Amino acid sequence: MAEPISRRSFLKAAILAPLIPSLLAACKRADDQKVVNFFNWSNYIGKDTLPEFTKRTGVEVRYDLFADEDEMFTKLRAGARGYDLIVVGDYHIPRFRSLNLIEPIPAESLKNLGNLSPRFRRPGYDPEETTVPYLWGTTGIAYNKRKIKKAPTSWWDLWDPQYKDRVSMLDNVRDCISVAMQLLKIPQTTRDPEDFKKIRELLVKQKPLVKQYSSASYLNSLVAGEIDLAMTWSGDLFQTARENPDLDYVIPKEGTYMWVDCLAMMRGARHRADTLRLIDYLLEPSVAAGIANSVRYATPNQAAQPEVDLVLRKDPRVYPTPALMKQLQLHHVLDSEQSELWSQTWADVKVA
Amino acid sequence: MNRALSWLLSGRRPLASHLLLAPASLWLICFLVIPAAGLIVTSFAKNGPYGVVIWEFGFQNYARAFDPKYLPVLFRTLGFAGATTALCLILGYPLAYFLTFYAGRWRNALLVGLMVPFWSSCLVAYYSWMIVLGKEGLINATLMRLGVLSEPIGFLYTPFAILLGLVYFYLPFTVLPLYASLDKVPRSVIEAAYDLGAGRWTAFWKVTLPLSLPGVVAGCVLTFIPCLGDFLTVEILGGPRYYLLGNLISNQFMMAQDWPFGSALTALLLAGLVGGLWLYQRWEKA
Repeated sequence: MAEPISRRSFLKAAILAPLIPSLLAACKRADDQKVVNFFNWSNYIGKDTLPEFTKRTGVEVRYDLFADEDEMFTKLRAGARGYDLIVVGDYHIPRFRSLNLIEPIPAESLKNLGNLSPRFRRPGYDPEETTVPYLWGTTGIAYNKRKIKKAPTSWWDLWDPQYKDRVSMLDNVRDCISVAMQLLKIPQTTRDPEDFKKIRELLVKQKPLVKQYSSASYLNSLVAGEIDLAMTWSGDLFQTARENPDLDYVIPKEGTYMWVDCLAMMRGARHRADTLRLIDYLLEPSVAAGIANSVRYATPNQAAQPEVDLVLRKDPRVYPTPALMKQLQLHHVLDSEQSELWSQTWADVKVA
Repeated sequence: MNRALSWLLSGRRPLASHLLLAPASLWLICFLVIPAAGLIVTSFAKNGPYGVVIWEFGFQNYARAFDPKYLPVLFRTLGFAGATTALCLILGYPLAYFLTFYAGRWRNALLVGLMVPFWSSCLVAYYSWMIVLGKEGLINATLMRLGVLSEPIGFLYTPFAILLGLVYFYLPFTVLPLYASLDKVPRSVIEAAYDLGAGRWTAFWKVTLPLSLPGVVAGCVLTFIPCLGDFLTVEILGGPRYYLLGNLISNQFMMAQDWPFGSALTALLLAGLVGGLWLYQRWEKA
């Protein structure tokens, strides 16, 4: 029979109870040295990548996921502490830097930086190499071969009224406005409000056809047949096509944008040494190839190429031909004033 | 215990009654007053480069909020919230009535059943609805197998799906107050109506319904208000053409990184709600 709780033992427990969390915290702190907190896109790493790292180094990786980069940015901006390593799109780096969220990765402490293809060294968006390229890809059109008889060739196909209610667009300022600019032949450097008015009108005109603005759930919709035509990020579609082989990917004839997702170290990261070890590990040829094979995005790691699956390596949708590569451009690095014009325009499209 | 409480609160012991209220007040201050004050202060601030909040104060965010381009969003939101409330009432009143007068010994089990959807996040519930409503979902697959349909119906991303989600999620908010106030209607009063010759319909119309009106009002308020700020339902089940106030606000905090403007919109929504409730209370007292 259980002993009834006496008043004294209750009081003792009541006094001790608040101490428990701090005791737990103390235990945690002791092993803190052996941990890296990594914040990455969902479906953006190989299955064995991190366990292998832990096995080799004894460093545990606490892995956290996001599916929307604005959400991730908001979380970090609002003061989420404790992440050491994050993945940031090239065009977002100025934003993170100007808010002092990230600090430069000391290049000299990375043995494997030389594995990167020269094309990705000292890039325009980050000439001082304060971040490390992780994966890259393109924005293009996904479509269901069974339902769309004539393969799309142009961004204009996303504006074709015959596909009403079967189209989805990425819920992303940069991608949607860049495409509108490409179609209207407006340079990304513009600050002219008239240009932005035209862009808004073009995107609003498309709205009646659009079933979803989405950057993640549209992939399920494609598989489930809710939509048949979607603006997509290359690797996301290739991953999804494993579930539905009817899905295919096209880089429109107008050309498109490529982007580079980069590893960046959070300012004040508490586990610097282990974070650098993890970055160096991710740059190893076989590790980088393992990730690329699993997520089906292109790796900027030249030394990894021989280990990338032949099917992927020979696939011009993943690694475009040199001729097509010339047509790919990086997103222009916007200053804060332009950035404001872009997000205002996108916000107005959403409201319209 | 109850007697001790009422004695303490009877006013003879002001200190003791304050002490008893302290946890509630503290809770309100920490989780309501302080965040709301922060929100209101932010709403007057300026939005700087890359969404840095600049603490220079002015009314510019409020001026922007009255741009006519937001009017359709406001009306659409009021429409969806109103329709949801009406549907919840139409579905909820008979349900609450049944629970009170006919459910008998099943009453508690059914009440728990009503709450079950609340045990999981509405996110999970909405994703399940996507499976049910999808073009290759349960309903379409069944109807097509039965030969009723030749082409699947696109239920998802329509006003229908949004209303379904909202009603599904907010129904308990309507039913519980209705149930509480129907339960309080003294059976003797209803019996007296029968004794005085009223039929079932007259007794309901003249006695039960008027006595349950406080529950109707509470249920409507509890449904209507959270509906006004809902954004997840549209995000998951609704399409781009059904953008609501909640989406507009969440977009300011997420995509546009304009926290001052988002705060101003939220403050206006709050002001509208508090004002509405205040007017309602005055009307009720009059």
